[in-house]
Amino acid sequence: MSVPLSQMWAVGTYVLKQRLKGRKRYPLVLMLEPLFRCNLACAGCGKIQYPGHVLRRHLTVEQCLAAVEECGAPMVSIPGGEPLLYPEIGRLVRELVRRRKYVYLCTNALLLKARLDEFEPSKYFSFSVHLDGLREEHDAAVCREGVYDIAVDAIREALRRGFRVTTNTTLFEGADPQRVREFFDAMMDLGVEGLMISPGYSYSKAPDQEHFLRRQRAHELFRAILERPRRRWRFNQSPLFLQFLMGKRDFECTPWGNPTYNLFGWQRPCYLLQEGYARSFAELLETTPWEQYGRRSGNPKCRDCMVHCGYEPTAVDQTFGSWRGFRDALVATLTGRL
Amino acid sequence: MAERSLEGWAPVIGRDATLEDVVEAAFDYRGDVTIVCHDGRRLVGYVFNRDRRAPEPYLELLEPSGAVQRLRYAEVAQIAFTGKDAAAGRSWEAWRHRRAEAEAAGA
Repeated sequence: MSVPLSQMWAVGTYVLKQRLKGRKRYPLVLMLEPLFRCNLACAGCGKIQYPGHVLRRHLTVEQCLAAVEECGAPMVSIPGGEPLLYPEIGRLVRELVRRRKYVYLCTNALLLKARLDEFEPSKYFSFSVHLDGLREEHDAAVCREGVYDIAVDAIREALRRGFRVTTNTTLFEGADPQRVREFFDAMMDLGVEGLMISPGYSYSKAPDQEHFLRRQRAHELFRAILERPRRRWRFNQSPLFLQFLMGKRDFECTPWGNPTYNLFGWQRPCYLLQEGYARSFAELLETTPWEQYGRRSGNPKCRDCMVHCGYEPTAVDQTFGSWRGFRDALVATLTGRL
Repeated sequence: MAERSLEGWAPVIGRDATLEDVVEAAFDYRGDVTIVCHDGRRLVGYVFNRDRRAPEPYLELLEPSGAVQRLRYAEVAQIAFTGKDAAAGRSWEAWRHRRAEAEAAGA
């Protein structure tokens, strides 16, 4: 696994503090969406389908920082939309780093080379480049030819300048396990710090409704990909989450673990479902009917979901919240076996 | 396949659907709607929130100017789905069409 020690320490001590305080629900990663606008229209994405006047709007840096302070999570992920379309993305990242937040800027990398001068390398900051596979698979997933090559070129340049770079990969029905393994090899050859993988969520608004993975099929796919992981693969996520994807662990969703803040407020109940908005983070925690979400709730919208934003917080909570979880994560990290 | 779009729908509340159902549909809709209030006000915008369980159920609308309007359900006389449905999936269909053409040309 490739999560830096300082980050592991920060997250581990944060989780322990929350537990010592007796907090039943606490955030781990703030999903901060400063805008919905994107320069791609990916088939599996349900995040950007809004009227023009909504797409043209964005949060101010001050609104973003207020949300970060209010939430208190040690990590901030900046998805969107495409965050590199956000005019003040450089200032936003600098302010977050100054507050010692671990920041993941999730980008399709089309504008990465052009805007790289606006950022400074830091242990607190990583570009998380969206790549859904090798050239053929990725360009098909993002519905545009040439995007893979642009992203790889930008990754090389970011690495050359000393930035942390990870990749985030969403897998759909029809993914070829062997090709995914080859993709992992290619990313390691490229020199990225770590890989993040997740099955796609079946957004009701996504253009392509035919290729979302059902749970059993997802387990089969991830087992085929990860059963014999190469030693050189480094994942920027919990090994317990990867074991969950493989069907080796039964986790329940932690929908409040990665709360989402955007133009409309605090999104209920999670990053994927949009069932309304709260005006404050406290209101989100206190008034969302959490018992109606997660697989055990029987909610059909949650039945097949195995996405990292709901289950990675569960994995992290188990890692730092129990000796057994800590031991299992440590063994997987040291041996490289999942 | 993507569900059928509600673009252009202008239900008569009470006859075609209940007010609560139409508000739910508007909340789910990824385009602007036009709301006519009982007092004659006419508002256009994107319904981004609603709370049907509140003591006085309300919806929230983002107008193109950026202003947010909060309306009680009781104030709403009609909702028409007047804006373009941004989730109608046309870009995906166009992409598939182009891909199929390219594959056929290469075959």
